[in-house]
Formats: sequence, structure tokens, C-alpha cells
Amino acid sequence: MLLRQRPDTEFQRIIEGLAGTHNPSRREFLKVGAGFSFALGCAGALGALGGCSKESKAPAKSYAFLEDSDLALFGALAPAVVPELAQLGAAERARRLGDVLHSVDAKCSALGLGSQQELRKLFDLLAIAPLRYLLTGVGAWNEAGIETLQDFLARWRSSRFATLNSGGNTLVKLIATSYYILPATWPASGYPGPLASLYQAANS
Amino acid sequence: MAFPDLYAAGIASGWNIIDASTLGAPRTLEADVAIIGSGAGGGVAAEILSLAGLKVLLIEEGALRTSDSFKDMDEARAYGELYQEAAARASSDGSIAVLQGRTVGGSTTVNWTSSFRTPAQTLQHWAEQYQVAGNSAADMAPWFGKMEERLSVAPWAQAPNANNSVLKRGCDALGWEAHVIPRNVKGCWDSGYCGFGCPANAKQSMLVSTIPVALQHGATLVHRLRVQQLQLSGGKISGAIGVALKSDGRTPSGVSVTIKAKHFVAAGGAINTPALLLRSQLPDPNQRLGKRTLIHPVVLTLAVMPERIDGFYGTPQSIASDHFQWKDGATGPMGYKLEVPPMFPGLGAGVFNDFGDALRKDMADFPYSNALLALLRDGFVAQSEGGSVRLAADGSPMLDYDLSDYVWDGARRAYLSMAEVQFAAGAKQVRPAHLDAPYYASWSDARKGIAALPMKKFRASLFTAHLMGGCGMSENPALGVVNSKGRHHQVANLSVLDGSLFPTSIGANPQLSVYALVAKNATALAQELQS
Repeated sequence: MLLRQRPDTEFQRIIEGLAGTHNPSRREFLKVGAGFSFALGCAGALGALGGCSKESKAPAKSYAFLEDSDLALFGALAPAVVPELAQLGAAERARRLGDVLHSVDAKCSALGLGSQQELRKLFDLLAIAPLRYLLTGVGAWNEAGIETLQDFLARWRSSRFATLNSGGNTLVKLIATSYYILPATWPASGYPGPLASLYQAANS
Repeated sequence: MAFPDLYAAGIASGWNIIDASTLGAPRTLEADVAIIGSGAGGGVAAEILSLAGLKVLLIEEGALRTSDSFKDMDEARAYGELYQEAAARASSDGSIAVLQGRTVGGSTTVNWTSSFRTPAQTLQHWAEQYQVAGNSAADMAPWFGKMEERLSVAPWAQAPNANNSVLKRGCDALGWEAHVIPRNVKGCWDSGYCGFGCPANAKQSMLVSTIPVALQHGATLVHRLRVQQLQLSGGKISGAIGVALKSDGRTPSGVSVTIKAKHFVAAGGAINTPALLLRSQLPDPNQRLGKRTLIHPVVLTLAVMPERIDGFYGTPQSIASDHFQWKDGATGPMGYKLEVPPMFPGLGAGVFNDFGDALRKDMADFPYSNALLALLRDGFVAQSEGGSVRLAADGSPMLDYDLSDYVWDGARRAYLSMAEVQFAAGAKQVRPAHLDAPYYASWSDARKGIAALPMKKFRASLFTAHLMGGCGMSENPALGVVNSKGRHHQVANLSVLDGSLFPTSIGANPQLSVYALVAKNATALAQELQS
């Protein structure tokens, strides 16, 4: 579910293609390198020009891996992956979203260094507004509608570029597995819970 | 309490168990044999060496979790506490999800109990292609028998659950081979919760079988201790350095543990054992270490059945088909074994890999969902060399694994076989776990659709739960890291006794292959160390 640097040419083509579509003048900054590390290098250059580099580097309060910008990302994407979330009352919705975010955080924290570095690249890339817009078509996370967010996921997953397929799969699976593993969501999957006979025997 | 916790009683009776997270100061531990890893290999070795009168130190990076902590039968708790990287481990590019245990008992604590003998074709291939000696089907038969008896392995005698019945019914309708799976259980409740730790101590994992016997015979178990390095001195391992982990089981506490032993056994499994040897910079003159990592790449198809399946309940795996396993011999187009996975909501949501309304519908149909899986038999031909293990900057392991056209051809044929079985069993609709596959309403639609699927990483969902190779055995040092008895070719007092020994994949769930091979090799080792 994670990412590795793709061959130089692939990401170059992605960026050049998108840059060409959105703003040809940026192409100069987006020429060489590999994978998401390349994109972040460029993000630095863009940030220096535009004053919008990503600054936060510490986990958010009560989280071990996710930063504030990651919480914004997952907070916005969760109802796009699991529409049921958007239909809940505010209190239940906040509770389940909190559970999902902490579950994603626990998974990320448990990963080996190699995987964590790839995830960090993906999340940081999506935290930088100009690059995010270029790559996903999403502006501010908290202002994006569900359809815009689902379009982004669908586009990444149907892209001819494996790097984007991988990123799209990672985001979808992290959210979907974290949501449907919650006991509160068992009615939605028809799972009645632990087999009663053994559960009772083990807990009597 | 209905099920007594073996460890609560054992600790009360004086078992030597050290939780390294509680150590406040550096410590040195000494033994005749230090075993690094407590899974299928380490558990069997610990029992045999302890019974032989040797002083054994059994070291596990994960935590000691016992039946009392399995009582909640909860998926989230199990993944977080009992699996490598909280069950989110993946190959280095993220394209293959890796399900592997990380707790006392290793993967045996969380596996689905399928217990097959190593196929004779596989053993013959090892002798012919990898100069493996003394491990023919005839040589191994008594060791399979011994371990089957030790771990109560027998074909599952009860009816298969509805999920497994789909495979049986489909194979019967098509005239394909199918068989009942032998399982290592005693007093099994047929519940389906093998993957979360057995709350009834029915599964004969290392946690409840060999390790308790080793502890009764004076072995010491140290858990939450990561062995960082083996120290090489004059062609021998002089000691090992361990790093105690905090109670989270991941963060080093800052306390180091020195391990001294006459003999060292690496048994961390096919990702962690090669990584330990790589970190230790042991001699590898022929560049074999961490190479040929075999994983039985798994692809799946999903069916919506007319009847309730409730794939979360009942023995997870009881039926398998080898119809496509040896059809073209060991070295023809890739063979595969067909089985089913249990279906729990968290695992299921990941396999569906959908979002939005599609995911909501998948989950609404979940009680009617059947999944089939194919274990692709990798490593038997030059076009399937497996993957490799390398180290991240902090010394943690990374698995690189690429799929050749040969392997993708096997995956596509497996999709076809599985869809055909599911429709033959009455499926309403079937789809491969693949980004480009819609639900097909008939076998003829599926056949056309699957033939045109792009077979690429990230489009096809790939999984593995069987890690093998990386310290392959061969009498010829040019072909293997260790010899046929698991002894390192260049280091005198080091054995590898786990699945990383295998020169190819097994072609079946590998736990009994590990048990029997390690039983044979550990028995020889005990004789040598006592003489």
C-alpha cells in the first residue's frame, strides 16, 4: 500500500503533463528527478517563489505520525471514501472520524522506516497547495466537495502512472480498512461480531 | 474462566520469561544455544534442543500475548498487536501486502492452520536444481509424521463452512481436484478466529505447544528484544547485541542486552533473518544472502453468492485445489494452489479496494461475499527468481519483489480458474481484485474480461502471507547461504532454521514444511552439540 520512487522518466512525464495543462511556465522547475522526492524538491523551489512551502514537521497533538496537514487530508478524504460518514450526526461523525484518524496513525507508526518515508513524501506532496492543485485538482481540503475528492481518487487510480495508482490505492485502503474495522460500523457490513458461542465460553 | 491461560500457570510454576521492556540496565544473557525468533522454526528448535538437555535462550522481537488477550476476538486488536508492522507491512514499492506474525509464536500464532507436507515435486526439484542432500520425500516422511503427531495435524473432519464450500462445489461441478485441508488443531471450536490468536488454545501454534515444553525444560524466553547484530570473530559468532524495546514493542528503550552462546540459530523468518545477517555483515562470497525471496504471490477473485456465506465464521481454510498446481510439471507455466481466505470487515474492505458508493455496496453484500485466492508457486524457473531483502538506513528490512511476464501469466490464469469455479458454484457475479475489473455476470463475460485485463502492479491487488527463501540451502556454497542442514557455509556456529532455508517456494502453505525440516535439522544439531 505504499510507494517507492518510480523511474525518473515516469514522474517527469506526470509533472510535465500536468504542468503543461495547468501552467506551462512552471515546467522549468519540474524537469528532472524521480518520484515523490523529485516532486518535493520542486515544491521547495515553488515554495521559495510563492511563499507556500510546507512548514509543519511534528506529529499533531495526540498523534504519533500524522501531522496537522495530514489530518486535514484524511479528514476531507474519509467521507469521500466512506459516504456513510457524511450522513451521520455531528457527534457520531466526529467520533468515528477520530477513530479512523487514530487507526491510520497507528498503522503508519508501526511501519518500517522505508515505508514511513514513502508515506511522508505522499502526504507532504498533498499538503503543498500549488502541487496539490496541479496533481489532484483539489484546492483547500476543507472546501473541496465530495465529488471533487472522488474525482481526484478516481483519476489517480485510473492514471497510466503506477506512482499515482499506488498513491490512490494507499489513501483509499488506509481509510476503508480503518473505518470498517470499527465495531460501530459492523451493521454496515453485516458482521454480527465475534461468534457468540466461543466468545461466551472465553469470557465466562 | 473457561480456557486457562497456559502462561499464567507456567509463570507461577517458575518459567523463565523476561519482558525486555522492563529491563532498566544493560544485561548479559548466556546459553548453550541462542535462538533468534520464536515462530515455526524457532519454536520447534527450542523444544528439541531443550529436551536434549541444552540450555536454550529463545528471543522474540514481538511481545508475549497469550489466550487471555485473545478473548475479545477483535480484528483491530489482532492486527495491531500480533502482526509485523500492524499488518500494514508491504513490499518496498507498496505493491504487495505482507501478512506476517510478530509475537511469541510468530506467524503460527495467527495463521489459518493449513498444514501440508512439502510436495514431493518440490523436494525433488531442490535435490536436482539446488544440490540439496538428505531431504528427499522418503527422508522427510518420518519428520512430517513426527510433527503431524506432535501438533495434532489431521484433515478437518467437520463440514467446510459456506465460504470453503464454494470452492468444493465449484471444483466438483467442473470435475477438478479438490481436497480437505489438514489442520493443526485440538478441540477446535470451528469459530474462524485463527487469525486473531486462538482464544481456546485449540490451534497447536508454537505458543501453546513447543515453547511451553521448552520452558518446562529450562529454556528462557525473552520477548520485546530485537537482535540488532551478530558479532563475527575468527569465523564464529562470538555474541549478539540486542536492543530492548519499550512496552509499545517498537521503540528502543535504550537498554542493550548482550547475548553469549556456543551456537546461534537465526529463525526470524524470510524477511527478518536475511536482514539480521545483512546487518551483521556476515561473509557472503557468492552474493546469495537475501536473494531469491519467494512469497507465493496471491491474487484473489470476489464473488457475490445467492446464499449467505458469512465468511467470518467457521474454519477459515478447509478445502484446497491442486488442479492447476503440477499440471505442467514443476517447471512449466506457473502452477498455483486454490484456497479461500476468511472474510472479516477490515480485511475485506482492503481487498475490495473500492471507495464511495461502490465500497458501500461491497460492504452491504459482505455476508454474501465469497473470495478465492491463488497461491502462485514462484521460484521454479529462471523467469521467476523471486525478490530480495535489503536494508533501510536504520537497518530495518525492505522487500523488493517484481513480477515477470511469466508470473503475470500465472496470475491471469489463476483469475480465470477462480472465476470459473465461482460461477460453477452458482455465483451471481464475480470480479478479480483488480482496479480495472468490473463485476462480471457470467463465466463467458468473465473469460473475455479477464483476458483483456492489464496485468500490472497496483492495478492487480497482490498479497503474501508466506515468506520463504533469502538464506537458501544447498550443498554447493555457490548456490546457497547454508547447507542442507541449515548450517552457514562460512560461519561455524550459526544455523538458519526457518522458512528462509527454502530454495524455492513450497507450493502449499509452508508451516509444516518449516516444522519438519527444522525438526530434522535441530535433532542433528542437538546430537552434534552434545557430543
